[in-house]
Amino acid sequence: MSNRTLTLMMGFVAFLILVVGVILIVVVASGGGDDNGGTTQADSSSGSAKTKTTASSSSASGICAGNTLYVPGNDPNSLLDPIQVVDVGTSEYVVEIFGGLVTLGLDLKVQPDIAKRWDVAQDGTTYTFHLRDDVVFHNGKRVTARDFKYSLERAADPTNASPTVKAYLGDVVGIRDRFDGKAASVSGVKDVDDRTLQLTLIDPSDFFLAELTYPVAFVVDKDQVEKDPRNWTRKPNGTGPFKLAEFSPTEKIRLVKNDRYHLGAPKLDEIDFQLSGGSIVTQYQNNELHVGFVPGVDLEAVKSGSSPVSKDYHPQPNMATLYINLNPKKPPFDDPKVRQAFAMSIDRENINTVLLYGTQRVATSFLPPEMPGHSDNVTGYSYDPDRAKQLIKESKYATNMPRVVLNYGGSAGNDPQLLQAIQKGWQDILGVQVDLQAIDTTAFLREQRKGNFQMLSDGWSADYPDPEDFLGKLFASDSTLNYTGYKNDDVDALLQQARRETDRTTRFTLYNQAEKKILDDAVVIPTFWPVDHLLVKPCVKNFPTVSMTVPKYRYVEIKP
Amino acid sequence: MGPGLTGYIIRRLLWAIPVLFILSVVVFWMLRLAPGDPIESRLGKAYTPEAAARLREKYGYTQPIPVQYVKYIKNLLQGDLGVSTRHPDFTAAEIILPKMWVSTQIGFFALLITFALGIPVGVYAALARGTFVDPMVISSWLLLDAIPAFVLVPMAQWLFALKLGWVGLRYEGVYTMNMVVPVLILALPGVAGVARLMRASVIGVMGEDFVRTARAKGLRERTVVVTHITRNALLPMITVIGLSLPGIAAGALFVEQLFGIPGIGRESLEAVTAPDFDVILALVLFSSFLFVMANVLVDVVYAFIDPRVRISSGRG
Repeated sequence: MSNRTLTLMMGFVAFLILVVGVILIVVVASGGGDDNGGTTQADSSSGSAKTKTTASSSSASGICAGNTLYVPGNDPNSLLDPIQVVDVGTSEYVVEIFGGLVTLGLDLKVQPDIAKRWDVAQDGTTYTFHLRDDVVFHNGKRVTARDFKYSLERAADPTNASPTVKAYLGDVVGIRDRFDGKAASVSGVKDVDDRTLQLTLIDPSDFFLAELTYPVAFVVDKDQVEKDPRNWTRKPNGTGPFKLAEFSPTEKIRLVKNDRYHLGAPKLDEIDFQLSGGSIVTQYQNNELHVGFVPGVDLEAVKSGSSPVSKDYHPQPNMATLYINLNPKKPPFDDPKVRQAFAMSIDRENINTVLLYGTQRVATSFLPPEMPGHSDNVTGYSYDPDRAKQLIKESKYATNMPRVVLNYGGSAGNDPQLLQAIQKGWQDILGVQVDLQAIDTTAFLREQRKGNFQMLSDGWSADYPDPEDFLGKLFASDSTLNYTGYKNDDVDALLQQARRETDRTTRFTLYNQAEKKILDDAVVIPTFWPVDHLLVKPCVKNFPTVSMTVPKYRYVEIKP
Repeated sequence: MGPGLTGYIIRRLLWAIPVLFILSVVVFWMLRLAPGDPIESRLGKAYTPEAAARLREKYGYTQPIPVQYVKYIKNLLQGDLGVSTRHPDFTAAEIILPKMWVSTQIGFFALLITFALGIPVGVYAALARGTFVDPMVISSWLLLDAIPAFVLVPMAQWLFALKLGWVGLRYEGVYTMNMVVPVLILALPGVAGVARLMRASVIGVMGEDFVRTARAKGLRERTVVVTHITRNALLPMITVIGLSLPGIAAGALFVEQLFGIPGIGRESLEAVTAPDFDVILALVLFSSFLFVMANVLVDVVYAFIDPRVRISSGRG
C-alpha cells in the first residue's frame, strides 16, 4: 500500500499543479478578450500599475498617467431623466449630462447656463430669459426656446408622472393645472422667439432661480424623446459638460467629455464611476481609484497626519443636517418640557471629540453653515444637564415616563454608534432608557408619513441652496414632507411671508425668526452638520470641495 | 440518441411548463400581497400619495391582481419579462441576463476547479484509508472551508493586491487577472465537500466484486484504480455536479459584493429588498427553469455513460 500511496501522492500533486497552472494560463491569456471593450488606454496603463509590487508613488502613475478619472459612484435610483430624478445618487450624473437655463457654480450661486441673461419684470412675476446662441445638444443640434417650452410642458404632463415638478416648478403659472389634468398646456411658459423664453410666476419669488437649477427644469431633446420614448435615457442627448457613454446598472457609468460644452469643455476625457462597490478602501490603496473614502477606523490617523494617506485627505462638508425628530403628538413628547430636556442632554461637543475625532461639525441650529441665510445668532438648546434634569422633574412624566423608542432608517446614513452615544446621554442625565430600533428605509419613510413614531433620527440635505428647501419643506404645516405634523401658526405665517418676500435680506431675517421658533419648540434637535471624509489622489487637481450636487467634474484635471 | 431518449427529454421539458406556471402564480401573488412596495421605495423621500398613485397607474399596479397576472403572462409569452422599477429604463431581462452571465462564467470556473481538485483528493483519501494521510488530507481542505468568506477575502485582497501586486481589485470583466482571486475563493472551500463525497463513493466501489475480479485477473493496480474504481465511483458525482450547475447562475453574494463583481447575487438581494416585482419573478422563473434543465441533463448524461441506467418511455 505504501508504495502505491506514494505514487498516487506524486501523481496527485502533479495533477494539482497542472490543473491550477492551466486554469491560470487560460484566464490570463484570454484577458485580452475582455468583454467591456470600451476602455482602452486607461485600462492598459492601470494594468501596468497592478504589476508593480511596491512603492505606491510609482504605481500611482498608472492611473495618473491617463486622463480618465476613476471614482466610486452611487447606483442611480431613478431614470437618467431630469424630470424623474428624486435622489442625490441620480442627480450626480444628471447634472453632468444635462443643463438648464441656469446652473449652480462651485460657490453655490446661481449662474447663467443656457440663458445668458434674464430680466425680471417690475412686479417680479415675469422672467424673460435670453438664451445663448451657441448651445448645442450632444448630437450637435442647436438648443432653442422651443426646446425649453417642450421640456417644461413635458415635466408637467401628468402622464409622465414627474415626482418633483410640483414642488420645484409649481410656482410657474399653469404647471399645477397641467399636472392636475385641468389644462392641456402650461400657460405660464412662452417661447417668444427662438432665443427668448418667458416664464410667468403666480407670486414673485426670490428663490425661483435657485429652483430652476434643479434637474426637473433641465432641457431635453424633443426629437429624441419622441422618437424613442422608452429608451432615450440610455443615451440621453443632453447639453451638459459630459455625455453618457455607458450605463450598466450596479456595474458602471462612464461619462465622456463634451468638447462643445458652451461653458468650457472639461479637462478630463472620461469619468468612470464604479457602481459595483467592492473594497473601495483597498482599491484606493491599490491605485485603482482616484477618489476613496477614509474608513472609520483610520479617521484619527488620517486626520492627525500619521497615516500615509493623510496628504490625500479631502474633507467634504455636506449642506445637510442630521437631526432627531420628537413627535409632539405622542407621549412623552407632547410635553414641551420633556422635549427640551431631551434636547439639552445631547453633549454634541463631547461626542464629536471623543467618538468622531473632531471630524464632524456640531449643529447649533437647523440651517447648515453653507446655506445662504444661515445665522450664527440663531441657536437651539445647548447642552445643559442640570437644567434638563430640572425640566424632567417639572414635566408631567416625572414619575411615569413611558417606554421611548427611537427609530432610524437602515441605510439613511445614520451611524448607530452616534445614536448610542446620544442614547447614553439620555440614560445618564435624564434616567430615560431609549430603545434604538433600525427599520428598513422604505418602511421607515412610511412610518414617518403615518406619524407612527415617538422619536426618529433622520437627516435632510439641500436640493437647492435656499432656506425654503429646509424650513419650508420640513416645517410648514401644509408641506407633504412635514412628517411630525408640526404646526405652529407663527411659523406658518413667517414661512408664508418669507416665500413671498423678494428682498433677500428681509427674507432671510424672516427665515431666521421661523428657525428660532422651530428650535424653541424642540420638535427637532439638530445634532451634526455632516462631513464626508474623502481621499483624493494628489495627481487629481482642482477636485472641488462643494457641499451640494452641482456640475463639478469639468473643473477636475489629472496631472502627474 | 435513440427516439426514446429524445421523447424523454421533450416530455421532461414540457413538464417544466406547469411547474413554472404554478411557481409564477404563487410568486406573483405573494409579491403583491407582501408588505413591500416598489413604488414607495422608488420614490423615497419624494413620496406623495399623488406621485405614488400616478406611478402605480403607470405600472398597472392599480388593477386587480388576476388582471395584472394575465397581462404579465401575455407579455411573458411574447418574451417580455417586464420592467425593473429600480432601473425603469431597463427591462427585467436586460437587468438579469448580463448579470447572470457574469455569475455563471465565474461560477463555472470555480466549479471546475472545485471538482478538478475535489475528485482526485477524494480518490486519494479513500485509497489511503486507514492511514493518517486520509483524515489529514480531508481536514486540511476543510480548513479552507471553515474560514468565512468575509475573512478570507480581505486577507486575499491584502496579500495578492497590496502586498504582492499580482492582481487588481477593480472589476474589469470576467476574463481578467483580477478575477483569479475571487474564482479561487469561490472554488477552494468547496473542495473538501466534493472530496468527502468522492471518498465515500470510492470506498463503496472498492468493495465491489468486479474490483476483486479485476485484481484477481492480475491487472496492474493503476488500471484497477483508474478504470475500475474511479470511473465507477464518478457516477454518483454526476448528480452532484449536475445539481450544482443551476446554483452557479444564482451567483455568490459575498464574493460579488467584496470584489465589486456585477453578478446576479447582489442583484437578487437588491431586487428583493426593493422589491422589484418583475425582476424577482424573472429571477425565480429563470432559476427554476435552470434547475429543471439540470435535472434533465443529469438523467441524460447517466443514460449515455451508464448502460445500467435506462430511461424507459414510461418514466416522466
